[in-house]
Amino acid sequence: MDFLDVFMPTVWFVILALFLSLYVILDGFDLGVGILSLTSPGEAQRTILMTSLGNVWDANETWLVLMGGALFGAFPLAYGTILKALYGPIFLMILGLIMRAVAFEFRENVVNKRPWNLMFGIGSVMASAFQGVCLGTVLSGIPTDASGHFTGSPWIWVSPGSLLVALTLIQGYVLIGSTDLILKTSGELQRLHIRTARLAAATTLGGALLITFTAPFVSETLRQRLFDPAFLPFFVVLPLLGVALIVQLFRSLALQQDVWPFVYTVLLFILSFAGLGVMVFPAVIPPSVTIFQASASVSSMVFMLTFIGVLIPIMLFYNIYNYIAFRGKVTSE
Amino acid sequence: MSSSLDVVTLSRLQFALTAIFHMLWPVLSTGLAIFLVILEGFWLRTRNPFYYHQARFWAKLYVLNFGIGVASGLPMEFQFGTNWAPLSEFAGDFFGSVLGFEGAMAFMLEAGFLGIMLFGWQKVPPVIHFLSTVMVAFGANLSVFWILSANSWLQTPAGGTFSDGHFHVQNYFSAINNPFMVKSVIHMALATVETSTLVVAAISAWSLMRQKAPAFFQFSFKLALVILLAVAPLQILAGHESGVQVAERQPTKLAAIEAIWEDQPAGTSPAWSVVAVPDEATGTNRWKLAVPGALSWILESRPQLSQPVRGLNSWPADQRPHMVGLLFYAFRVMIAIGMAAAGLTALGLLLWWRGGLSTERFRRWPWFSWAWILSAPAGYLAIESGWVVRCVGRQPWTVYGQLRTADAASVLPPGEVLTSLVTFAVLYTFLLGFALFFGAMILAKGPDLSLEPPQNGSAARLPVPSPSA
Repeated sequence: MDFLDVFMPTVWFVILALFLSLYVILDGFDLGVGILSLTSPGEAQRTILMTSLGNVWDANETWLVLMGGALFGAFPLAYGTILKALYGPIFLMILGLIMRAVAFEFRENVVNKRPWNLMFGIGSVMASAFQGVCLGTVLSGIPTDASGHFTGSPWIWVSPGSLLVALTLIQGYVLIGSTDLILKTSGELQRLHIRTARLAAATTLGGALLITFTAPFVSETLRQRLFDPAFLPFFVVLPLLGVALIVQLFRSLALQQDVWPFVYTVLLFILSFAGLGVMVFPAVIPPSVTIFQASASVSSMVFMLTFIGVLIPIMLFYNIYNYIAFRGKVTSE
Repeated sequence: MSSSLDVVTLSRLQFALTAIFHMLWPVLSTGLAIFLVILEGFWLRTRNPFYYHQARFWAKLYVLNFGIGVASGLPMEFQFGTNWAPLSEFAGDFFGSVLGFEGAMAFMLEAGFLGIMLFGWQKVPPVIHFLSTVMVAFGANLSVFWILSANSWLQTPAGGTFSDGHFHVQNYFSAINNPFMVKSVIHMALATVETSTLVVAAISAWSLMRQKAPAFFQFSFKLALVILLAVAPLQILAGHESGVQVAERQPTKLAAIEAIWEDQPAGTSPAWSVVAVPDEATGTNRWKLAVPGALSWILESRPQLSQPVRGLNSWPADQRPHMVGLLFYAFRVMIAIGMAAAGLTALGLLLWWRGGLSTERFRRWPWFSWAWILSAPAGYLAIESGWVVRCVGRQPWTVYGQLRTADAASVLPPGEVLTSLVTFAVLYTFLLGFALFFGAMILAKGPDLSLEPPQNGSAARLPVPSPSA
């Protein structure tokens, strides 16, 4: 294989991982806030929660669209196979995202907000849960024939493994959502979310540990990768960093810090998804179809990279500007 | 075989349903955004609160519309993978890249600046706010470009070769700039501006008929008329050009939208059917009202055809579109609405010129007001009809001449697709109902003329406002 035949699919794998991480972190806190809105003590508090999302949820959701487009363009075979295998959960996730978006806009226009509050919260729970199901199913492996086409049952996504990942992802989203709210609120509302963050940190940690210890039993490939000496450095360094970050997270929560709980949570998310990337690379349809088999032509990937590669920093720039313009606490006014 | 055929039909129905519903929303997201740019430009230049109130009022409708557009767009992208996996694999090299560009260039730009545009009036300086509105409009219209480029490629695939079940790109720029691209982008961009402007005019006419905020809505009505003066005639030209390129490149679609069953040789002057009753079983029109000798004028602007026109009967049944009646009438509905909008615009301008466009006019001539009010749904109907012509007329191909729709669909359990199809149908009916209801509430409330514009030179002067005020 030529250099580009190896290099381009790898670059696109990394870009996909970047988009996935950005989506999970950014829309993750939107979805987490959405789930938490179900537990808001009153309408005034819920309005603060929703206002904190107003300027960002749409752009955050767009990272998912971008990930879809990049997967489609760079790995068309994987796009077709994975989405077809996940017909049910993808459909339910989209349903959840539609409910969330529409309830958010409709709520603005009514006096009796209760039905739309409910739809917003349930939509957020649904979207999170089925994103977890998709992630869990892909990690457990998608059966394919020699040419990479899906050969499994349409119910492949119904499994204990995908359920575990779904529950953990919900916990993770609640964690990042509460730490975001610690950042964006003050007073009683902030103290409430310090408590939810502590709880969610514990349950997320429990789920993540369960996933780590059961993964080798679910998937042959994951087992081999975990015990592959070449990858040993990763599997020593990543958990150590993880432990350090978790300790720091709990410490910052105990100290009632404003910014640091969110920062540590984001770092933990990045670490987890880096870990997942190391686990599956170079598979793009785990367990067997690699990025080299599923990729578009090299010229196609080069073409996409020239456009999207230039745009990535620009997109990050104006998204960051948006956050800076709206920084600070959200008040009820 | 029969069960996989059912899945094809179900997936087609689902794509049609989700596309027809989705198309309702980007119309305002792209067209009304340009209107908002104009209004905010007026405000920035004059600092007259009148224009600020204009921008804020129309932005309210914009938000209501935008969220549903984003939400209903998600199933569009994902369906290429779930329901059309073979198409994704066949054309992913090009088609996927284009959807990726749309996301990165257009969608993100629009979404990234939307927050500032909607909620940032007090957070950023007016110039930055104006730039954000421009970026939202620019992003939305870039989206038109990429989506129409991708769809045009399905109509007139170019820029590469087809072998072993794949499209291999050789030249990306000629694939993006495929034969249909330029005229299709222009036709669609004009359509969104025209329909959005009709929506503004319709709401203004409705309010003027009821004498609500007359000065406010008289201005927006007149601004709409000025925009329509430019757009409505151009759209008729762009539509004509789009029809001519169909005649050149997609003979089966042309024959279907004109219900031409028999071959029309070069050198003849066939009639053009205004209305007809096409009968697929016999391959004839049971009845028609036709203008003698008009077809060659329409297609080639000449008294005789220089190129023969092939009739539907001379194509094998599996190489031409069916549902001829739908195509024939969808095409005519679109044209009739385009013409009527231009006519109504001319009438409005004439009245204005003769000094007869007083707010009283709308009350005393309810038919005039109602013609404008109905022009808004008519604009949407024209757009949907155009898409029916474009995509049903392309059948039986997904990629014209290269990939059949039957081969482009995923083999899925029919029950699964039926479930999602029915759910979408129910959910979308519900969403449309509520969107119209909330839209009506915004109109009933009317513009908020007491809104204080952000003060020039106060808190908003710094690029970054002070946190936690």
